Order: sequence, then structure tokens, then C-alpha cells
Amino acid sequence: MIWPQVSIGIAPLLLTIAAFSLPLISLVIKRRLFYHIYALVFTIVALLFAFVNFYLVNYVYGHPLVYLFGGWPGPLGIVYEIDGVSSVLGFLVALDMLLVVIYSWWYMKNEDGVEWYYTLILLIETGMLGIVYTGDIFNLFVMIEVLAISAYGLVAFYRSKREAIEAAIKYSIVGATATTMYFLSVVFIYGTYGTVNMADLALKARPWLTSTLTTAYSFLSNMSGVGYGNVFIASAIALALALWAFTFKSAVFPNHFWLPDAHPEAPTPVSAALSGLVVKMGAYATLRFMYTIFGSNSTLDIGGGMSLRDAILLIILILGAVSAILGALVMIIQDDIKRLLAYSTIAHLGIIFMGLGVGLRGVSTALTSMAIAGVVLHTINHSFGKTLLFMASGLYIKATGTRSINFMKGLGKIMPVTTALVILGLLHLLGVPPLGGFFSKLLIYNALINSGLAIFALILILSTAISILGYMKLIVTLLVPPRPVEFLGKIREETLPVSVLSVLAGLIILVGILSMIGGIDVLEHIASGTTSANGIIDYINAMVQTSMKLIGGG
Amino acid sequence: MVNEYALFAAYVVVLSLYVNLGIALYGIFARPSLVKKLIAITILSDTANAFAILVGYRWPIGKLPKPPVITELPVTRKVLETYTSTAVDPLPQALVLTAVVIGLAVTLFIAFIIIQYYRLYGTVNIHKVRRR
Repeated sequence: MIWPQVSIGIAPLLLTIAAFSLPLISLVIKRRLFYHIYALVFTIVALLFAFVNFYLVNYVYGHPLVYLFGGWPGPLGIVYEIDGVSSVLGFLVALDMLLVVIYSWWYMKNEDGVEWYYTLILLIETGMLGIVYTGDIFNLFVMIEVLAISAYGLVAFYRSKREAIEAAIKYSIVGATATTMYFLSVVFIYGTYGTVNMADLALKARPWLTSTLTTAYSFLSNMSGVGYGNVFIASAIALALALWAFTFKSAVFPNHFWLPDAHPEAPTPVSAALSGLVVKMGAYATLRFMYTIFGSNSTLDIGGGMSLRDAILLIILILGAVSAILGALVMIIQDDIKRLLAYSTIAHLGIIFMGLGVGLRGVSTALTSMAIAGVVLHTINHSFGKTLLFMASGLYIKATGTRSINFMKGLGKIMPVTTALVILGLLHLLGVPPLGGFFSKLLIYNALINSGLAIFALILILSTAISILGYMKLIVTLLVPPRPVEFLGKIREETLPVSVLSVLAGLIILVGILSMIGGIDVLEHIASGTTSANGIIDYINAMVQTSMKLIGGG
Repeated sequence: MVNEYALFAAYVVVLSLYVNLGIALYGIFARPSLVKKLIAITILSDTANAFAILVGYRWPIGKLPKPPVITELPVTRKVLETYTSTAVDPLPQALVLTAVVIGLAVTLFIAFIIIQYYRLYGTVNIHKVRRR
């Protein structure tokens, strides 16, 4: 079967080609409508491929799928490998980006430079799909850079605006440092293990697996070299550097400073994509490093007492807890609606990182799977919720001409549908039971409290409780009179953006319903493919067998 | 026979990489001038690239290594054996090539942003802007 493999490799490549052709095409075709349709068509195609991948991995094959670029086998060439978690996230990325592009149709209708805007939007989607699909840590670096450069570009999109340029400077200078640190980490890992392939690394970091996977081991030892030096120290340095880069990308506590400036200054659809998706990529990369490569019982998880992996996970937990509290606290005092939402993103990323830190030694695989399922579900929930809220904030901002909440008093009377959807989104992010946001917080809470991390479970509750104040401030401002007389009759709710918001609200409710009728079990099963030993064996075997088939002419 | 000199050279290189790293981080986080920050970023990425090349060298240092290029034709088993026992690892060089290209894009972007910053604020010193 050649089809499933092609659908993995083609999505990022197609989007790259589409993105770089657009400036060339724009020399000939100067119709704004064409750019909109162009971006729409390619995001729809990407969504189809992402859906095919999601369907094949989870419902047809049941094991990770592999695409080998350029016909090079295994660890020699670049490998794209999709397991359950990455197929879900790839689908989420493609779906959310499609909605962002549809919303941009309305938002960008009076802006200049639409062709450049869509070039960068398509590149952002390339980067994210590449990050979630790749099975190669160096390709991860390349894709992080693709994502980062287009994100810097979009933050600086309003290039004659002082704040936008300042935010872009702050974001890009420290971002370039962070990605260089990640490159150093890749070099350390290559020097130590002699490979940059994730499946190969997963095997080499677990010496006890070599007796189980004899075929894979003999194949991989022929294909990739052995490293030198002290494995323990080099892995520790590599992880420290890599996690610094990932926490920067995810805006977790010590590295959160750029987000409240950068996200609000971008055009609103981009703020939605940045807050909803781009920051999650750091969390995904952390998941790959801490569970797929250096999972439990790996080289970092040996020795008595607290192992190095446990220490790193504890640091992740603490940083997550600090950002959950800090984001919620600072959110309360914000007056700018987009900054308020940006700080809420920091708080939610903190919650996601707390979920990532659960897999300590002694915690059962079932509990770890529950936590990772919670992380994935919270990623989905927060993406939909934050995309909805940012898009709605764009409607308010276009209506009032300001980002200050104080000038939005009583807007609920004039824009009733939007405001109803905003309230739904806020309740969803808060975690009100019938909506999706409740179930992900419940999963992470349960995983934390059952694995003996009660204090972090309490911090999760505390962070939610604090953020109620911030969300309520927004709801109350929108609903309470005085009615803004000066806007009466001037503002009307337009169909296109409001229908995008309605689709997102529908997705939020759908996630809630799916969670109630057994979606959580499915998600825990998917997550166990990343956390359990059997899942790792499948991950390694899928790559090795596809490569062997290629060499054997299969 | 070349062991000691090569090892000494390697130590000097490693030491200078550490110094470079320190200079780069100092430049990025402590200097107020954006242009100096940009220069420090290029120093940092060059340090990382040099480190990658160093990792791809033949370790432990023995005979002086050769570039990863096969110069003899036709390629027989013996040529390949000499090649694999003397050439340095080509993969880190490929990684560096990619990283250099990406670094070029990032540097260009940041340079443009700094020019734009100068147009808007009339200075590239971030401290002067903050105190306005």
C-alpha cells in the first residue's frame, strides 16, 4: 500500500510549495479574491490529508505510520512518523487553520499585503504539521524554525506600528536564541547516540529493549553509528537546552515575557492561530522528548532515589504551576481585551505542562496515559476556545476601534450573537461541566491527585478560581449597561465571522458531548500509544519495518 | 604521534567555544543596542555550528582525518574501507549547512526589523526607548 504513506509526507510539502508560489503568482494575478480562494483551497486539501492520516492511524492500522522522504531508509533519511497523538494534533491544526483562513477572508478585506499574509499563514501551517508529523529531531528543528520565522513575520505584519515592531523584536531575538539552543541540543544528542531519528533514539535510550527487539536492534546498529562520551551527562545537557527552547515556544513561566506583547500585536486571525495552536507545539515537542525518547525506564530514569527524569518532570510541574497561577493573576488586571486573552493562554499552557509532568517514576502507565489524554484534550479545548475568543475580540475591536475593555461596555446589547458565543467560550475555558473544557481539566486533575501530586491538583483548581475573576470581568462588562449610544445603528454583526464563531462553538459543544459518550476512553487509548512500553515498541517497529521493506524492494 | 597536538587543539577549540557562548549570551541579554544583539545572535549560531563540526570529527582523536569526499574512481571495496576509516562524519556538516541557511533567514528578518525599529523610534538602543 503506497497511499497512506504519501498522505503523511505530502501535506507539509504541498503547503510549502503553495506558500512559496503565492508571491510569484501575485506578480501576475492581483485579485484579492484569488488569494483568499488560493489559501482556502490549500488549507482544505491539508485538512483532507490530515483527516486521512487521523483515520488511517487510529481506525485502519492501529499502529504508527511512516513516510520515508526521498526513498532513504530508516535513520539515514528524514522520517515522518505519525502515532495516535500526532494524528489527533495534526487534524486539530488543519481544522483550526481552515477556520482561521475563512475568518481572514472577512478580517483582511481592507488590508494591504494579503498575498504576504497568506504566504506566512500557509508557512505557519506547514511548520505545525511538520512538527507534529516528524520523526526526526533535526527535522523538528527545521520545522520549529519555519514556524518561528513565519510567526515573527506575522507579529510584525503591521510594520508601521511601533508596538508591533517592538513585540516582534522581543519575540524574534530571544526566539532565535532559543532555537539555536535547541540546535545545540540536537548536536549533543547526535554526538552521544549517533542518530537523530526519534525511533532509533527511543531504542538507544532504552538498553533493556534491545533483547526484545532483536530485529530492530540489529537493523538499527547497521544503519546508524554509535556515539561517545558520557551518555548520562550529555543527555542531561541536551534535555536542559531543548526544554529551555520548548518552554520558550510554549511561553511557560520564566520564558513567558514575549507572549503578552507578541500575540495581541499580530492581526487578530493570527493571534487566534498563535494562541490556539503555535504555543502548543512546544508542549508537543516536550511530550516527544520526555515520553517517546526519554520515557520511563530510559537511560535517564536509572539509579536509586530521584532519577534525573523525575527531577526534570518535577521542574516541568513546578514551572507549569507557576505559570498557571501567574497567568491567571496577571489576567485579572488587564484592560486590553487581547492582552487578557494572551495571559489566559499562559495560564492554560501552565495547566498543560502540569499534565505533562505526571509521568514520574512509580506512577502507573494508566495514570500517565490519563494525564497525556488530558493534555491532548486540553490542547484541543483550549485551541477551539481561544480561537473563538480571539476571533470574537476581533469583531469587538473592529466595531469599537479600540482594544480597551472599558469601551466595550454594554456591547452585548448590540452584538447579541457574538456575545452569547463569547460567554460560551469563556465558560468552556473556565471548565463548566457540559462543555469540553471541564473534561480535560478533570482528567488532568484526576491524574495529578491519583499520582500523589495533590498540591499541583490544588494549584489547578486555584488557577481556575483566580481566572474566574478575569473572565467574569469581561462577561460583566459586555452585558452591563450603559448602552453605548454612539455605536447604535453603526454596528451590525456580519454573517461570515459570526458563522465561523458558531462553527467553533459547535465544536466546543461537540467535544463536550464526545467526552461524555466515551471519547475520553478513546483518547486514553491513543495516549497510551505514547506512554506505554508497548506503544514505544510499536513506534520503533513501525519505522524499522517500513525501512526494511524499502530495502527489500517492498 | 599526532595525538597530543590534536588533543591540545581540540581542548583549545572547546575552550574558545565556551568563551564564544558566554560572549554571545552576554551580548543578547545585557547589551542595549539591537545591532549588537544581532551580532551576538550570529556569534551564537556560529558557535553552535562550529560545535556540530567538532562533534562530527573523528573521536577519539587518532590519525588526522580527511574530508568526507571520495576522490578515487572506480569505487572499490578498498577505497570505501580507507574512506570510512579516515573521513569525518558528513552528517553534522549537512546539519550545519541546513542550520546556516535557516540562520541566514532569521538574521535577515531581524536585520529588517531593526531597520524598521530605527525608522519608527530613531534609535536602536532599547533603553532609550523605554525611558521615553
